[in-house]
Amino acid sequence: MRGRPKWLPSGRFALGAALVCVPLALALFGPLFAGEPGPRATSFTLGGGHWLGTDFVGRDVWRQVLFGGRPVVVVALTATALAYLVALPVGLISALTRRTWLEEVLMRPLDVLLAVPSLLMILLVASVFSPGAAGLALLVALVNIPDAARIVRAAAADVASRPAVEALRMQGESWWRLAVGHVGRSILRPLAADAGVRLTGVLYLVATAAFLGIGVAPDAADWAVMVDRNRTGLFVQPWAVVVPALLIVTLTMGCNLLFDALLSTGRDVATERYVVRRGVGVRDRVKEPRP
Amino acid sequence: MSESAAVAEIEELTVEVGGRRIVDGVSLRVLPGRVTALVGASGSGKTTTGRALLGEFPSGARVTGFVRVDEALVGYVPQHPAAVLNPARRVGALLYDIARGRVRELPRRARRAAVREHVLNALAMAQLPDGSRLLRRFPHQLSGGQQQRVVLAQALLLGARVVVADEPTTGQDALTKRRVVDELAAVAARGIGVVLLSHDLETVRALAHEVLVMRDGRVVESGPTERVWLAPSHPWTRELLAEQPPLRGDTPATSNSYTVLRVRDLRARHRDVEVLHTPELVLRSGECLAVLGRSGSGKTTLARCMAGLHRGYEGEVLLDGVTLPPSLRDRTRAQLATVQYVFQDARASFDERRPVLDQVARTAVRLRGVPPREARGEAAEVLNSLGLADELAARSPARLSGGELQRAALARALLARPRVLVCDEITSGLDTVTRRGILDLLAGLLRDRDDLSLVLITHDLDTARLASRIAVLDAGEVVEQGSAEDILTAPTHPFTVSLTEKRLVEKRRDQIQPSSHA
Repeated sequence: MRGRPKWLPSGRFALGAALVCVPLALALFGPLFAGEPGPRATSFTLGGGHWLGTDFVGRDVWRQVLFGGRPVVVVALTATALAYLVALPVGLISALTRRTWLEEVLMRPLDVLLAVPSLLMILLVASVFSPGAAGLALLVALVNIPDAARIVRAAAADVASRPAVEALRMQGESWWRLAVGHVGRSILRPLAADAGVRLTGVLYLVATAAFLGIGVAPDAADWAVMVDRNRTGLFVQPWAVVVPALLIVTLTMGCNLLFDALLSTGRDVATERYVVRRGVGVRDRVKEPRP
Repeated sequence: MSESAAVAEIEELTVEVGGRRIVDGVSLRVLPGRVTALVGASGSGKTTTGRALLGEFPSGARVTGFVRVDEALVGYVPQHPAAVLNPARRVGALLYDIARGRVRELPRRARRAAVREHVLNALAMAQLPDGSRLLRRFPHQLSGGQQQRVVLAQALLLGARVVVADEPTTGQDALTKRRVVDELAAVAARGIGVVLLSHDLETVRALAHEVLVMRDGRVVESGPTERVWLAPSHPWTRELLAEQPPLRGDTPATSNSYTVLRVRDLRARHRDVEVLHTPELVLRSGECLAVLGRSGSGKTTLARCMAGLHRGYEGEVLLDGVTLPPSLRDRTRAQLATVQYVFQDARASFDERRPVLDQVARTAVRLRGVPPREARGEAAEVLNSLGLADELAARSPARLSGGELQRAALARALLARPRVLVCDEITSGLDTVTRRGILDLLAGLLRDRDDLSLVLITHDLDTARLASRIAVLDAGEVVEQGSAEDILTAPTHPFTVSLTEKRLVEKRRDQIQPSSHA
């Protein structure tokens, strides 16, 4: 029995990478290949020089797809990064401090935020401020901070209570080395796992917000907006809905698979050969037919 | 005994992980009512062999050989029993779940009573006669010994014919050890085959009928316990069994010694429960003070208060007459350097990602302001003097043995040039040979460094012999204090007397021989 060679990525990794590649490449490089907009055609038609037909106002769907990924992906990535930018220091400080009041001051307000459903929060703020793409990224980051900070704090508190940290304190190590050099590094694994799930959640949230018309113009080139606006013609011209929807699904699924695969490397649990027989006991021997 | 009587058998078992053979051609027979002991240093393959009886192997292992288990029921009592008890469920629930499977054939009405009877029986067999009081408790509300017996009761409820006990007495004091010996002897007396994995020779001698001495995955010697003890044929066995030479740190010159550390009216709490009350304890320069006590006696808390790792206390810890801040985060570098602490679990006290040498060198950098380059040189020097070659020091902690890591931990503390070194149970997880090495090292340190005082936290009388003075701790109180000789030869407090009485373990032997062999 031969396993795959070590240098080959695992199946899950390859699948995840492949799934992520298509929508990510489309989102990042799509606008470069989009070309000039052609004249508008009739709404919801197929053929006529349009690869994927036309959308609800007669624009070329393929061109919209090429443009529509960037806002979704960029906003989602920015929001996730922003959320961790705040959550990491807050979580680390509150896990490593011995001053209970500091921990309370840092964590309690986040708990209040946690109690409000995230989409409701976004809708509320959006109705007052009508944010653009940057505003949407900020909002999505904000609703993700409480969760992320709690996870950072829990993971860090676990590491901080171990003898290794006490030993570092005994050596008089600086806070920075302790918090970032040791605790921060030790919690990378759970954080990576959380980041994978969080990015998926953020993608979902950004797409939902765009679907509901927050942070984007009603006729913007945006995968989520496309799904919303074109669904009236779903049965006439399905591609205008199916393609952007599939791209969003592929991106989230790929992200999940990719992070899963990254986390499971180095934990090879396959037992190579198992020649041990168990339970062939006295009883079995007695049962054998006697000549 | 006839050929078929063995309840479990291992033949030519070889387990290979990453190209290294951790078990190499081991054969073993477990007979009902007999205790078979696997003895050897840590890393000799005892646990892997024992777990093979359960059909458990390390991940990624290449296994060849033959394991035969009669009726496939094997109980396992791990070294840390808390790890296998669901912390969210009461002891009663944990046991009833298993017992319910045994009363299926009874009519529905009779089951409840039958289950309770099964459970109480199993508890009584596991030496918990007053078990009914424990059923309402959660695992964390039991002592380590009680947890161990509950796990054993689970195995008995399952109807296990073989029980594998992994280091059941490691890190236990003399009294607890005696109870464990009783408990396993009772199990064997009921016709269950016991496999004892241990490096605690005293327990092995008291319990085992057969001994297999392991080294580097191989069985180097096997035979009846008495034969192996009285006439060991393999040199490794002889080294393992050699009588411990009496260790003795030099008694300090009383004339020019002064008080380094003084604990005054210390009351330490864990949350709101007071666990330690020490009116007065003094450490003089150049002496070795052993704090002796059972687990839960508060001796670790005392050590952690001194080192600044436990700040929930009232009272004072004075260094050279100056009160030390309760938390080490408030201590100055000089204070940190003066009082250093060596952790019980050396492995857990190292960062697994950095080479040992780098971590050790940081002490000199941070506490004495030595430039990193010189600090590394100095660290290598100290590590060498403690018996760790450069090649070992450059490795990551995962690739060092427990004894080697404990040496590295000592080196890490010594680089601060401490005057007080608090050693918390630093030998308790180690086998005899390694332990002797570490204790020799400590004795050497005491001899060579005049300004160094040791606080030795231990439950082990042999370790305490190293000290010039002993303080005995029980239930958070110092019950006896005096020179090591007085305490060890003529203890006055009943608790100390019970700790020093060891002969009882020997006595057990006669009671557990199965009658068929008489």
